[in-house]
Amino acid sequence: MLTMIAAAQLPVLGALLAAGALSKVWTARGETEPGALSRLGPAVLVPDRWRAPAMLGCAAGEAALLAGLVLTGHPVFRWGTAAFFAVSTYVLWELRRRRPDVGCGCFGEVSAVPVGLRSLGRTMVLTAMAAGLIWTPPVPGWSLLSGMTWPQALAAAAGLLVLAALSPEIEETVARLRYRAPCEQRPLDPAPALNRLRTSTAWRAHEKLLSSTDPVDSWRELCWRFFVYEGRSRSGDPVDVVFAVYLSGRHPAVRVATVGFDGQPVEVAPLPESMPVSAGR
Amino acid sequence: MPYRSADRRRVLAAAALGRPLTEPGAELEPGTGSESAPDEGEGEPLRPVIGEILDVSPHLIIVDTPEGREERLVIAPWATAWRGETVSPADLPVGAHVIIRALRNGRVADRIWADITRITGVIQSIGTQRKDLTVELYCGPHGGRRTIVIPYGASGRLRVRHPKFEAGYLFDAIGVREGGVAHARLPATSQPPYRWTAVPKPPPGYSGLQSRISGTATWSDAFDWGEQGVAYPMLERADSDCQDAGVSCTALPYLALGSALSVRNVCTGRTSVLPIVACGCMAGRFCDRCLECGTSPRGRIVELSPVSFVELGGDLTKGCFNARVGLG
Repeated sequence: MLTMIAAAQLPVLGALLAAGALSKVWTARGETEPGALSRLGPAVLVPDRWRAPAMLGCAAGEAALLAGLVLTGHPVFRWGTAAFFAVSTYVLWELRRRRPDVGCGCFGEVSAVPVGLRSLGRTMVLTAMAAGLIWTPPVPGWSLLSGMTWPQALAAAAGLLVLAALSPEIEETVARLRYRAPCEQRPLDPAPALNRLRTSTAWRAHEKLLSSTDPVDSWRELCWRFFVYEGRSRSGDPVDVVFAVYLSGRHPAVRVATVGFDGQPVEVAPLPESMPVSAGR
Repeated sequence: MPYRSADRRRVLAAAALGRPLTEPGAELEPGTGSESAPDEGEGEPLRPVIGEILDVSPHLIIVDTPEGREERLVIAPWATAWRGETVSPADLPVGAHVIIRALRNGRVADRIWADITRITGVIQSIGTQRKDLTVELYCGPHGGRRTIVIPYGASGRLRVRHPKFEAGYLFDAIGVREGGVAHARLPATSQPPYRWTAVPKPPPGYSGLQSRISGTATWSDAFDWGEQGVAYPMLERADSDCQDAGVSCTALPYLALGSALSVRNVCTGRTSVLPIVACGCMAGRFCDRCLECGTSPRGRIVELSPVSFVELGGDLTKGCFNARVGLG
């Protein structure tokens, strides 16, 4: 029974290693926020220039252990996993003592909450799981996954639940989703707004007025993105056609105005969207 | 994308959104003024006069303005001048560039700052030149690199407020231009304890976007001589051609070059609507407070041109005032 429970933790360890490696690579290579690594452990324990390589090295170690656990049943990977989590426990303990303000960085940027007893407890449980795996039959992870029985699935789910209860990252993620910054404070790419503009009725109605389909000016103010095009009014005078695209929502509003060089709006009769048709007799 | 003109952007945005062009936005308090006529609050109207000193005596100062006009101002009996230290106005040298806070429709000089400069940037390297220190600073994509001198006599005062005197940390001081070189004299703030790339995140906005934001307003000499306007940190990087923009430790909304801001000096009650004319990428990295009148909320929200700063009642040597900002 105990052997079955211990063996069932292999997919749990694999999932944690994969999530840890991917999120670390994402944080170290991505440009989510400059200086993010200065608040994440254990990278803060090394000098500035080594922080990204240290995080990438940690991710590479996790990926190697994951590959070894899934593809082979060689004991070296099981011992290695146990040693990895044991060292992690020590590092987190040290991090909590030396830099109580920084997060553990276990799952990259999401793990920005200062290291607490829960994070420490999680690495201890992971160490115990990995140590338990050493005494189970040396089968590759993929064969265990393909032949998983119901009791093993339940034991794996129980292991995942224990780890979820010890993960402050879940609350952090929920809080981030719940208290999302308003549209006005989020950096937003102009490309989706331009695509939305090109599919809008306002664009179709004014496209014939434009001298070029490349905007001559574009800027963002609060939750609106403006695109300015050079064009000609129906009477042939040069005008600026300005479109304003709202940056939030599924079907954001698009507004348009035609402005003369004197700064006064030019009234342009829009093209008819539909023509009244008589049904006849 | 070419940036055409601030005024044109205001006109186009107002036309597209159907909002009034000259009237202040709905978020503004009643009594806020327009760009040409700032609301003076309870005090006497202030008019900044800039130029080069042609002649100065204990009672009269004559300056040559950038427009080529000759301005004659009576020096008030209580007026003081600053040129590295507080001096008598009559001791200012001919040829010095001055900013004068003038009363009585620009006829009476109330306060004079001569050859004043603000040195804000990131420390790149530190050297020594006899007893003085030379510091190379990175002042953002628009400001470029700048080498300044910290005279031996001012180094103690500056270093006590800048304990991390090493590459990667922020520096902010007020000084004088002498022989084309900036000499730091006063610390403008206490140095942030973090590196310039590790600015703390703003606290989450549980109640959504605020229509008016309080914080610190500072000044910078990165503007054209005599220009009116502000530098704002929260600009889209692609729009503003400023790779360091978009960082602030205050929850600020994204605006653009050309957007109009209503800036209120909480200490003097003066308000002015000013256009955003530059990227305030360095200002956004300071999470300090201004203690000009009470303690301001944390974070620099705007960086004003010297002329706008003086017009709103700020003292250039103090470096900041408590401000409230809304969309104009």
